[in-house]
Amino acid sequence: MKLRLAAPNALIDINGLTELSYIREENGVIAIGALTRHDQLSRDRIIQEKFPLLAEAANVIADQQVRNRGTIGGSLAHADPTADLPTACMTLNANIITRSENESRSIASNDFFRDFFATALKQDEIIQEVRIPIPPPRSGGAYTKLAKGHSDFALVAVAAQISLGSGDLCNAISVVLGGVGSTPTRATETEKLLVGQVIEDRLIRQASLKAAKGLTPNPDFRATSELKLKMVTTLTERTLRTAVSRARGGN
Amino acid sequence: MLLVDFLRDKLELTGTHIGCDTGHCGACTVMLNDVTVKSCLLLAAQANNSKILTIEGVSAEGELHPLQEAFLEHQGLQCGYCTPGMILSSLFLLKRNSAPSEDEIKKAIDGNLCRCTGYLGIVKAVKAAASRMQGSLNQ
Repeated sequence: MKLRLAAPNALIDINGLTELSYIREENGVIAIGALTRHDQLSRDRIIQEKFPLLAEAANVIADQQVRNRGTIGGSLAHADPTADLPTACMTLNANIITRSENESRSIASNDFFRDFFATALKQDEIIQEVRIPIPPPRSGGAYTKLAKGHSDFALVAVAAQISLGSGDLCNAISVVLGGVGSTPTRATETEKLLVGQVIEDRLIRQASLKAAKGLTPNPDFRATSELKLKMVTTLTERTLRTAVSRARGGN
Repeated sequence: MLLVDFLRDKLELTGTHIGCDTGHCGACTVMLNDVTVKSCLLLAAQANNSKILTIEGVSAEGELHPLQEAFLEHQGLQCGYCTPGMILSSLFLLKRNSAPSEDEIKKAIDGNLCRCTGYLGIVKAVKAAASRMQGSLNQ
């Protein structure tokens, strides 16, 4: 509203629904209430331990005042492709639970983001909860963001989550890019190259080179398209290395 | 009506400043139920039944708060426009972290712009206030 992106006739403030602010573990899933503030998310022990990439993403959103007020539900519903939580939630294969007067739906984050500031939410729906499956042991993730200045939106952001089996075999991999298209964008070529393979340095490098393939990010006054593509490669490699090292049990 | 306009025009608490009115500069920072928010990004109605702390409430009974004293001593202000917001953000930091590092102070005032670029003095002041406040706690 402040940016004149929306001019609604009427507003309902749902901040009073304090029961929608929670982080809890239930049946192999971490459930996050839609009104959970970014500040809570970034400082929560469960989130830091299970999904470091989500804590990292929440911690680099704007500034302290915004993190005190902004919510995960609000960020996902707003669907800015350069925002941090849409990219992070898609990487973690989150399910978004919506609620209308008569219906509750569960929407995979892969299907949730439709276009710039456009989602699968219907007019009469709100986000109630975000559900993230707890990854198996030997999993790790990381979030890396390039922005102009500390508190800006991402020029480019990369999130990666990996699960390793015995002998560093890659059992599952998820890599999602922010700021390179109209929605968070899955780096499918990178994922394909890594899944089922034994993770080693050269492979990470090769897979990172694939991340920018086929992308045509819009240039803006902060960065050219070319710079963004180069940064996708660099940040993907960096993010994958951190994710792998965390999955192996380091930091 | 925005919260900042309500504070300034209705309550005549003009210590809270309007810098950009777009949520960038942090001059309008106040505490809402003990956490810092930008009062230009909230409607006054959203603050109904809430506890609000503005710069006017930071000093108790005419005595400057240790943070305010430190800003004065270490020249944590030049034109002074950003100062109320800087103080509120610093206060929030010190409530959580009584001995912040320089980097932690810088991160805490990320959302507050000083157009005079007087950040060095501000960071110094917050550091000094932290040690002074710790000292008084230990006594």
